[in-house]
Amino acid sequence: MTASTTSPSAPVAAPTAPHRRRSGPRAAEARWGLILAAPAALHTLIWIGIPIVVAFLLSLTAYDVVTRPEFNGGANYVRIFQDSIFWKAVLNNVIIAGVGIPISMFLALVFAVILNRALPGRGVFRVMVFLPHITATVAVAMIWLWIYSPSSSGLMNTVLGVIGIGPLPFLTSPTLALPAVILVTIWQGIGLKMLIYLAALQGVNEELYEASDIDGANFVQKFFHITVPMLRPATFFILVTALIANFQTFDLIYILTEGGPANATNVVTYRIYQTAFQEFRFGLASAQSIILLLMLIVLTFFSRRIVGGTDGD
Amino acid sequence: MVTDSPTLSPAADPTRVDVSAPGRHPDRSVRQTSLRRQKRVGNALMLAFLVIAALIMATPFLWMALSAMRDPSEMAKVPMPLIPQDWRLENFAETLERAPFGIYARNSFILASAAAILNVVFASACGYSLAKLRFAASKFVFAWTVACIMIPFYATVIPVFLMVRHMPLFGGNSILGQGGIGWIDSWWALIVPGAVSPFMVFLFRQFYVGTPTELIEAARLDGVSEFGIYSRIITPLIKPGLLTVALLSFEAGWNNFLWPLLVTTSENLRVIQVGIASFRQEATTDWHLLMAGTTMAAVPMIVLFLVFQRYFVQGFAASGIK
Repeated sequence: MTASTTSPSAPVAAPTAPHRRRSGPRAAEARWGLILAAPAALHTLIWIGIPIVVAFLLSLTAYDVVTRPEFNGGANYVRIFQDSIFWKAVLNNVIIAGVGIPISMFLALVFAVILNRALPGRGVFRVMVFLPHITATVAVAMIWLWIYSPSSSGLMNTVLGVIGIGPLPFLTSPTLALPAVILVTIWQGIGLKMLIYLAALQGVNEELYEASDIDGANFVQKFFHITVPMLRPATFFILVTALIANFQTFDLIYILTEGGPANATNVVTYRIYQTAFQEFRFGLASAQSIILLLMLIVLTFFSRRIVGGTDGD
Repeated sequence: MVTDSPTLSPAADPTRVDVSAPGRHPDRSVRQTSLRRQKRVGNALMLAFLVIAALIMATPFLWMALSAMRDPSEMAKVPMPLIPQDWRLENFAETLERAPFGIYARNSFILASAAAILNVVFASACGYSLAKLRFAASKFVFAWTVACIMIPFYATVIPVFLMVRHMPLFGGNSILGQGGIGWIDSWWALIVPGAVSPFMVFLFRQFYVGTPTELIEAARLDGVSEFGIYSRIITPLIKPGLLTVALLSFEAGWNNFLWPLLVTTSENLRVIQVGIASFRQEATTDWHLLMAGTTMAAVPMIVLFLVFQRYFVQGFAASGIK
């Protein structure tokens, strides 16, 4: 837009040599701006822009890959509202988030506050807490599959055996499977949350602590009256990003439980995968992914408002 | 948030605080010694808590590594000894015989490297353009990029899969994209759809915003071409940014699962995460081999992280922004 205001003569004539020289630097800047931005912009247009439109169109069709997509109005959406497995999956996501996120946020905050102090070897501890986040979720899920193994040699059952509780079928029991999944999400989720808390702690004014030291405040008082209030923006921020990430849980479920037993651990993304790539109902699965998108847009809207609100500092 | 890394900033050393203290009120020194003693006790308690907590956090990894080297007969013992009685490194060799983890690792390495290189090249160009150059569509491209960050892959995976499958004139497809398998089971499918990440464009823009515009103007006066300014003058200033994006893209490529699972069918193109997932079905009872395979899938990223910690941490702290 700046280019058009500074060179009003631009649309007058075909670009003759002297004319181009006059508007030279600006024109070159605009031209290179476009050239450098184009590959990435075109790529996202082709691989994200077109697919999102196609997903919406497909969601209005019956499409099973073999025959052509056939427009069926909003039948898929009506069907989703009657699909108890889909809503079971949504509910599971809500439970995993509702139980897992507060616990891992609390632990992350405790770790961050402690690791923000000048303790010997804190770098090593930070790495240990952060490693589950850097490791592929597939590998993480394989490790926990082995820990939860129903054979008495699975670590969990070995430990339980010591205190006299007999081997429990963690991942095949309808009541134990979801808690078992939640435990893994907590373990894997602490690292990133701790990191964001640590970054936020750098911004907390040290003088507040010094002043409260003089007033004789103890560690717990300082934690609840200075640290927690000062970290409120970070807390909201972590909460919303964790919620968004939670609705994209897939690998963990694929390896650990395949949504079972009896959909006790099914989640939205895994349900979409089942509908599309196991049942080949691409139209219905597209409608499910549009619903997922809408849920995430709502969450993102909140996150943008929150991030926008904390941008000032 | 992008530029300062939490783990890097030098420790807030209490002794250093004392050194800078003399200028302050003299009465505080007495109080500070008792405070320091209190602090020492507190630190010891926290250290004890940390050691226990960190051990619990690390237990799954230790369990994986230990189990990868156990003898199968030991796995069946009740109770199983916590420490392997004889360390069997042969487990790794045996795992390699049962499934071609070497090929899986090679494929993952190619995929992850391609993601790193393509993101660094194309996302940096776009990020620089959005941060420093004025052109008509600039605002629109930026808004579009931010919008793309918010669209989850799971919302577009079905159309992307269909586009790849119906890619015209590939894999036996006609010009209308019918009749064959298109890009399915090819490097095209693995690499092209994820070649540029909108988030990496955004991250690059943030890195470029911090570079001096005066340098660009001076270079223009000296007659350096616009492309030369981007490639030879400004981009060298953000080497840490380049490394951050390269490592984050590599990590995402190495850890990717759903997409390679959907578009590859042959063993020759299978990546390591899909490899261990399918190895699991074949060797469900051979936990020592499964853990050896899992170790091979996990350890390269762990090593890379340990070496380039600060860049990962910077990138992840910044990725919180999305």
